Amino acid sequence: MLLPLLILLVVACAALAGWALWFALRDRAVILRQLFGAAAIEALLVVQAVVAGVQLVTQDRSVDGPLFWGYLATALVLLPVAAFWAFAERTKWSSVVLAVAAVTVAFLDWRLWQIWGAA
Amino acid sequence: MSRTERTGPRTGSGFGRLLVTVYGVLAFAAIGRSSYELATKFSEAPVAYSLSTLSAVVYVLATLALAKGGPRWRAVAWATVAFEAVGVIAVGAASAAAPDVFGETTVWSGFGQGYGYVPLVLPFVGLWWLWHTRPGRSGAVRDPEDGSAHDSSTTSPPEA
Repeated sequence: MLLPLLILLVVACAALAGWALWFALRDRAVILRQLFGAAAIEALLVVQAVVAGVQLVTQDRSVDGPLFWGYLATALVLLPVAAFWAFAERTKWSSVVLAVAAVTVAFLDWRLWQIWGAA
Repeated sequence: MSRTERTGPRTGSGFGRLLVTVYGVLAFAAIGRSSYELATKFSEAPVAYSLSTLSAVVYVLATLALAKGGPRWRAVAWATVAFEAVGVIAVGAASAAAPDVFGETTVWSGFGQGYGYVPLVLPFVGLWWLWHTRPGRSGAVRDPEDGSAHDSSTTSPPEA
């Protein structure tokens, strides 16, 4: 894993969460542009997964495999499912859902970093 | 008769949408945790890891039931959410009184401490929500997508 990529991801998640919370406070539902934001984060997560995979193959590094890939898979699945679920709701609660999902992804990414370094 | 009158307001809409999301995340966490434990170290603490698996199944059922709504799913939701409330209190108390019994931690150990106490709070919020959206409740918050379609008892819910 690369630290700059992790920081970028956490910042992006925080930004999306802030954006969605601001919408929730103004009683607005999720808009398409926010879903594009979520898609950008998802793309970063895919890049992160590829980088981590390559590093695991090329470097001599012992990581708890099942744990690491379990967290990574969860992080990858969570945002698309949550975005879909949020977008189907047309009240402010859709914005709260997106914010919760973004915060969760940031948390999962931080856990990934811990698991990566723990070995 | 409208679907809302027959089954009560939808449990997966409005605030319920958030509730289902948090339940879904917790279900994911519990599945991940239990499958990891079962695959790598079940023999170390069979009681704790069996409990993990049971809680994962219950969280998945509760998530599904709250998302689906309808009379039957509502009953499933009541049962699973109430089970969680009892589970987190019982296991939390037991893990505090006799830490050795479980050998290892579960989602419910220490009243859900490892998950920011979300497992402790969530079932009670769930019970409140099920009560709040119970069928026949006057002045209940109705699903906006449902309110205008009073003769749509056969239409399927507009959910994913």
